[in-house]
Amino acid sequence: MHGPSISSVIDQPSSRLSIRRKTSLAYWSLQIIGWSLFFYGQASGEVIFASVPWSKAATLWGGICLAGIGLTHLLRWVAKRHAWLALPPAPLLTRILAGVLLVSLTYYFITIALSLTVYGTPVAPILGAFYRKLVPGAQLFNQFINSLAVNLMWVAIYFGFVMQRHRYRAELRQAQLNEALQAAELRLLKSQLNPHFLFNALNGVRALIADEPGHAQDAVTQLARTLRYTLAAGDEDLVTMARELEMVDDYLALESLRLAERLHVVREIDSAASTVRIPVMLLQTLVENAVKHGIAPLRRGGALRIAARVVESELIIQVVNPRPIDATADRATEGVGLKNSSERLRLLFGPAARLHLDLSVAGQAIAEVRLPV
Amino acid sequence: MKALIVDDEPLARRELRRLLAAFPWIQIVGEAGDIDDARERIEALSPGIVFLDVQMPGGTGFDLLGQLDRVPRIIFTTAYDHYAVKAFDVSALDYLLKPIEPERLAAALAKIHAGLPSAGRAITDSPLEQLFVRDGPRCWFVPLREVSVFSAEGNYVRLQWGKERPMLGRSLAALEEKLDARCFFRANRRQIVNLEFIRNVELGEGGRLHVQLRDGPEIEISRRQARLFRARTTV
Repeated sequence: MHGPSISSVIDQPSSRLSIRRKTSLAYWSLQIIGWSLFFYGQASGEVIFASVPWSKAATLWGGICLAGIGLTHLLRWVAKRHAWLALPPAPLLTRILAGVLLVSLTYYFITIALSLTVYGTPVAPILGAFYRKLVPGAQLFNQFINSLAVNLMWVAIYFGFVMQRHRYRAELRQAQLNEALQAAELRLLKSQLNPHFLFNALNGVRALIADEPGHAQDAVTQLARTLRYTLAAGDEDLVTMARELEMVDDYLALESLRLAERLHVVREIDSAASTVRIPVMLLQTLVENAVKHGIAPLRRGGALRIAARVVESELIIQVVNPRPIDATADRATEGVGLKNSSERLRLLFGPAARLHLDLSVAGQAIAEVRLPV
Repeated sequence: MKALIVDDEPLARRELRRLLAAFPWIQIVGEAGDIDDARERIEALSPGIVFLDVQMPGGTGFDLLGQLDRVPRIIFTTAYDHYAVKAFDVSALDYLLKPIEPERLAAALAKIHAGLPSAGRAITDSPLEQLFVRDGPRCWFVPLREVSVFSAEGNYVRLQWGKERPMLGRSLAALEEKLDARCFFRANRRQIVNLEFIRNVELGEGGRLHVQLRDGPEIEISRRQARLFRARTTV
């Protein structure tokens, strides 16, 4: 059927289990009811039309029906085992037809064997009575056609139902998956487009327009670039350190508009580090956190240090900033952005990459990322 | 009318200054970049109106209001603060979203010009009449005569005001100095009680007094304070 990863995202394990139990109950009920009705029809017909004793008719048809249950169940097992429902229509139909032919043939030979055992004739008496005007060879052929018809009917009901259920579930799952994906994308976009930053920057630009139009023009360009980079961040996973730093520079220039001399930036980027590919928005998230939770709440502001170097085939990025000593309230919101970044690092690089926020020194925060080059 | 601009961003202050130039009856007497600065200037300059940013280093605009004894008319300014905007809406406080639209500013100022009931009063030496308090997303100007008990909780004070139990960001001792001694009485180390809420008084063990309040709780008056209480109420 479907890949387990997708279904496990959507379905709760417990509900899957109970669905399976319900399905199994419905399947066995239908199997037993259907074959019982068939058994009753054939056995009672045989008693009436061929004037045989009930015990013999019941033995023959009881045996045939048990074989029918076994064979069709085997077919179901094979179909599930080889995930027939995941196949395109043509190969699925081929397999179903081949399967029903094999089942019918086996069923047919079991019928002959049982009939020989019980009555000494290869054709079951009810069929013999029904086709009494035909020659024995034609009677046997009709007995085969009957076997085929019974099993075809079983297959039609069974596969008709499970295919419809499969289609329905797939559609439902797809809808749920789309919804979850959209929600995740929205969340990402919203978290990246920091509205507080955006509106403050716009307010700053508005203030600059009259007195310093040149400066205002630069700010609009930087804001446009920042937005474009953020909106495009969903399209690619990795960018070069140099490209990400361009974004960070634009961002910091805009933050300097409002923080003025309170924000002082120190950059120490190794030339070897600038060509390394890193997850898009990773450094930006660290820098934004440093400004939002470190520099901006400080009355005097402080120095933000961004360092990147390659040491023994590992890229080490450090963002160091001062922070308020009694900052406890912001800890929760700070966690979300970093947790996201940490998760993305893990998805893109595996356990070799890690992000660590060191708050052990009062009044200082060090965010460090290490990833394989 | 004298106005003070409180915002940590120089550009934001500059922008507001320019917008306010269109209103000659507003006279900007100063600017402040954080709430300590702002508190000093409000006390020194007694402005009639304060334009107050919410997010500032060292404390929010709400913190400032909680510290002020006499709150001038306030117009909050904020860029984006979901939480704060909700507080403004439920409290019917005036606020402007940055970048500030000139029309919105004009509308906010027109309300003041029309002389609607003002939250602020001129600074005098008379006792406190109201306090600004905030509790989660809600905030109020609480008329003190409606508060039955002030209880110390650590360095803060919890008010019993009708059904609400808001917190005030100052100590009980600091609050006691500002309260009208004719209405409020220090019952014990932890509580100040509003005399108008007292229903009856019973004698307790060892010279203590038990005071039953109209809105529920029983307050114990310590032995030391009981003598004072008797003298004050002359019963």
